[in-house]
Amino acid sequence: MTTYVASRLAQAGVVLAGVAVLVFSLMQLVPGDPVRIALGTRYTDEAGAALRERAGLDQPVLVQFFTWAGSALTGDLGVSFRSGEPVTGLIVERLPATISLAVVSILVALLIAVPLGTVSALRPRSVVDGVATVFSQAGISIPDFWMGIMLIVFVAPLLALPTGGYTPLTEDPAAWARSVVLPAITVGVTSGSILTRFVRSALLEAADSEHVRTARSKGLGHGTVLGWHVMRNALLPFVTVVGVQLAYLLSGVVVVEIVFSYPGLGELALQAVQSRDFPLLQGAILLFALVFLVINLVVDLSYAALDPRVGTR
Amino acid sequence: MSPLRRAGRTLALVARRPGGAFGLLVIGMVVVLALVDDLLVPGGPNQVSVPDRLQAPTWPHPFGTDELGRDVLDRVVLGAATSLQVGFVAVGIALVAGVLVGLLAGYYRGPLDAVLMRSMDVLFAFPAILMAIAVLALLGPGTRNAMIAIGIVYIPIFARVTRAAVLSVSEEVYVRASRSVGAPDARILFAHVLPNAAPSIIVQTSVSLAFAILSEAALSFLGLGTQPPNSSWGLMLSQGRGFLEQAWWMAFFPGIAIFLTVLAFNLLGDALRDVLDPRRRSLMTAGASAEQPKVGSDE
Amino acid sequence: MSPLNRAATRPPTTHRASVLVAGATALALTLAACSSGEGVDAEGLEEATDPSASAEDSGGGAPAGTLVAALANTPDQFDPHATTSQASFQVLENVYDTLVVPSAEDLSFEPSLATEWTTSEDGLEWVFTLREGVTFHDGSTFDAEDVAYSLNRIIDEELANAFRFGNVTSVEATGDLEVTITVSAPTPNLLANVGGFKGMAIVPSESAGLDLATQAVGTGPFELVSTSAGGVELAAFDDYWGERPSISGVEYRYVGESAAALTGLENGDIDWTDNVPAQSIETLADTEGVELGQTGGSDYYYMAFNQTQPPFDDVEVRRAVALAIDREEITEAATFGAGTVNQTAIPSESFWANDYAPFELDPPQAEQLLADAGAEGLEFSLMVPDSDEPAVASAQVVASQLADVGVTMNVDTVETGVFLDRQGQGDFDAFSWAWVGNIDPFDFYQAQHLSDASSNFQGYSNPEVDDLLTQAAEETDQDARKDLYAQAEQIIVDEVSYLFYFNPDVVEAWSSSVSGYNARPDSAVNFETVTLTD
Repeated sequence: MTTYVASRLAQAGVVLAGVAVLVFSLMQLVPGDPVRIALGTRYTDEAGAALRERAGLDQPVLVQFFTWAGSALTGDLGVSFRSGEPVTGLIVERLPATISLAVVSILVALLIAVPLGTVSALRPRSVVDGVATVFSQAGISIPDFWMGIMLIVFVAPLLALPTGGYTPLTEDPAAWARSVVLPAITVGVTSGSILTRFVRSALLEAADSEHVRTARSKGLGHGTVLGWHVMRNALLPFVTVVGVQLAYLLSGVVVVEIVFSYPGLGELALQAVQSRDFPLLQGAILLFALVFLVINLVVDLSYAALDPRVGTR
Repeated sequence: MSPLRRAGRTLALVARRPGGAFGLLVIGMVVVLALVDDLLVPGGPNQVSVPDRLQAPTWPHPFGTDELGRDVLDRVVLGAATSLQVGFVAVGIALVAGVLVGLLAGYYRGPLDAVLMRSMDVLFAFPAILMAIAVLALLGPGTRNAMIAIGIVYIPIFARVTRAAVLSVSEEVYVRASRSVGAPDARILFAHVLPNAAPSIIVQTSVSLAFAILSEAALSFLGLGTQPPNSSWGLMLSQGRGFLEQAWWMAFFPGIAIFLTVLAFNLLGDALRDVLDPRRRSLMTAGASAEQPKVGSDE
Repeated sequence: MSPLNRAATRPPTTHRASVLVAGATALALTLAACSSGEGVDAEGLEEATDPSASAEDSGGGAPAGTLVAALANTPDQFDPHATTSQASFQVLENVYDTLVVPSAEDLSFEPSLATEWTTSEDGLEWVFTLREGVTFHDGSTFDAEDVAYSLNRIIDEELANAFRFGNVTSVEATGDLEVTITVSAPTPNLLANVGGFKGMAIVPSESAGLDLATQAVGTGPFELVSTSAGGVELAAFDDYWGERPSISGVEYRYVGESAAALTGLENGDIDWTDNVPAQSIETLADTEGVELGQTGGSDYYYMAFNQTQPPFDDVEVRRAVALAIDREEITEAATFGAGTVNQTAIPSESFWANDYAPFELDPPQAEQLLADAGAEGLEFSLMVPDSDEPAVASAQVVASQLADVGVTMNVDTVETGVFLDRQGQGDFDAFSWAWVGNIDPFDFYQAQHLSDASSNFQGYSNPEVDDLLTQAAEETDQDARKDLYAQAEQIIVDEVSYLFYFNPDVVEAWSSSVSGYNARPDSAVNFETVTLTD
């Protein structure tokens, strides 16, 4: 088991390093002088030279990479070109909003997926199943930015919900809830639709599996069988998918954030790309990748814990 | 059975399912529209006529006109071409690169597998939309570059799916036998492994097409994909959102178009999966869409 | 002023013509007055506040409430000397002061940090008497050193508005509360150059160590409390030299989505916004609880060509384009009627305006010119900032019109930062945008059309125009000055240094609970005199 954990950790580390190299290289290739674009209206030859020096842009590329990577390991992601503030700080500033959205969206998604998926799995290929499938397919196919706009135009005025912005939970729980609900619904419906299908499949597959059939043949009641064995085995792939979803959500649902003027990480990253703010973008992407990898790791490890078959490779 | 006959039979089976029939029908229509778009709309996407602007749907503008007086139906038809083009090219890129990687990784295993799949992991760990946006920052905005960006984002999923299928096929007796007998790898790969990995890949293709079209819409919505005055459904949505009160049709019709087309590809994918490999149905497609990086959204 | 950086489209028009439009005509008279060489007696124009009672709270009652203002665009930074973004100035307007300010009624110059000023006989020396008892937000006292520091900073560091000080040879503190500005030639528009907008704001002389891009230390009615990704917060400044604001602060939010801004306005979340798309004006006008402010503006939209290389180095090709476009259609498409076609830059209400419109829509003539110049089947790219809806709409209309004469124009929408970068580098075939907040003809023409001037990105150079512009900048006689500018303008238009489209109206919307606010023709956003009722 420990070898499994160790090897997975090592893998994650390699991938993270790969992401670092990739994002750094990409930024190097982007055309246009990053200093000019980052400074924008503030550009003067002096300011440009100062920024270049401060950001170490006059150093050879390899040196720049290792300097950046090195400090990243200690949590220092450098300083934003545009605002001069530490990247880590800028990202952390946006975390509460992004995490709120991610968590509430997952909740919405689960609220949709679990009932719908379970009901479908209980009666596969029935009318209910068909309807649920259509709903979930529709949910996946609707452009979420479109749904967001519809919600803003029709639902927000009806329920007196704000159409933009974010209020921290610590400041005012009621306002927080109101600022998160519409974006979360927008994201959650799509998520939920995907999850529905997954819940259904996972439950069906688990219901079919060997040891469930064995359990049934032992004469265990239908309810007990479904309840315990199926659920537990369905949990595994389900956990994977929720994990993957969460990881993606944390990397920012950019378009929804734009539509709702929601100050999350995705919007920050978009701004960073548009203003060629390399340190900010590099830091943000690295963070996202890290979160994604960590979540995947946790999922894999819980697999190992939940399913004794895994881990003996 | 020859591949062509097999394909024909598959299609027939697919068409017998309601989802599959719907999918084939809608996709068929959209493809036809996209192919003859130049004939249907000879004037191009930018037939400005300000006196005619913001007209509600009636004859001669069944979908109404937009803020510059351009016929919305015309632009939706042209948008179909854009969406399909981007979808097919992007998925084409992802398919070719991803399948190649997956084949090699799954067949040869060992260090090659490790290197290739770690690279795929790197791409995968990259938030999809940021990857696309970064690529577009590199290449500049536009329809053509959006194809490349989306294509790159989708390579890992094809690699993974292919590899998984290849892994299981490689265990088959006849493959192991061929290898031990010393048959050339290329022959085994393309004659045996690939055809058997094909079902998963085909299903993934359909699902990816759906999301590629959504991704193109999202990128154009953000102003990074198709540029005005060209027509793309996503761009039309973004332009239409400023006019929801005055001209709901500007955003409605492109939105419906995206929805129906994406739905069609998704349903087609479902039907294909049912027909091609009932055994692996459960996790295959559910997994396919779950892991599918959807640019611009939560996945 | 500065490149327009807004996403809001322009509002529709005419029956809305408010008092302010009429007021803009008065622009004529007062500009004439204040651009003369004579000193203006400040007493008559001064606000009711007794300047010596600065520390007293002379406003009535406790400040009530925070005004929530939704900006369509995001400020790029808060250093008033360095930024040229209109969104930044929408905030800075309330945080900083200049020596003089344009009045809301007719854009004539009134005292602000300077209470009176005199000009020497030869017009080469301007002496400003400064206001007593003014405090900066950090508590330090305002004096002549601060003025000298601020203006010299702009000049020495060659910041955004340095070109306005082209004539200035020195800015010196000649007394505790006295500043002398020496110019090399008579500068009739000096007041506009030091006070047209907050780009020439006064910062503390001690602020060299501060990062003014992110912090603000001004003398204005509000102080900058905090900035975040989504907005900025201002709080009323207790020690303001003028009447303390009746509201306790302003919360700016960056709301790029007009739907969100307008919905917020309607349901009371937002009290003020400039994010009013032209097509929404009619409905907004009829909405309960919402007030609309609309006035003729001094902004203008234009297209410019890269004149440093073929084909646009040939004036005939540029003229061909000018003949091929239909400005009426462009304006209607981009502003829904809330804009006025103009083949020059200066709006018709201004004293300085000339009725000059040499180009009639003439596609056959255009085609002929193109053929003669060997530019048939011309294809080029027009660079447009993606955040500016009227610019993007205009571009599409122009593309369609040019297609009719066989010219293919590709529209290249780019992010604002990239636009500014490429513009500065000369990396374009043609570009299209707008200039904002111009008052004096110097503002309208100097920086863009003088050879090698700071904003002459198109590479236009005509010695005759240079002469006229330079002369006009120094001419103290109003009518002579107007005539010189008229001549320069004619050549600029004839040779298509810029291809001018229209002057958009200024449109803003606010809740009925906001009183004491009006949209200004120079589009400055000032909340000093606002009160909030519930």
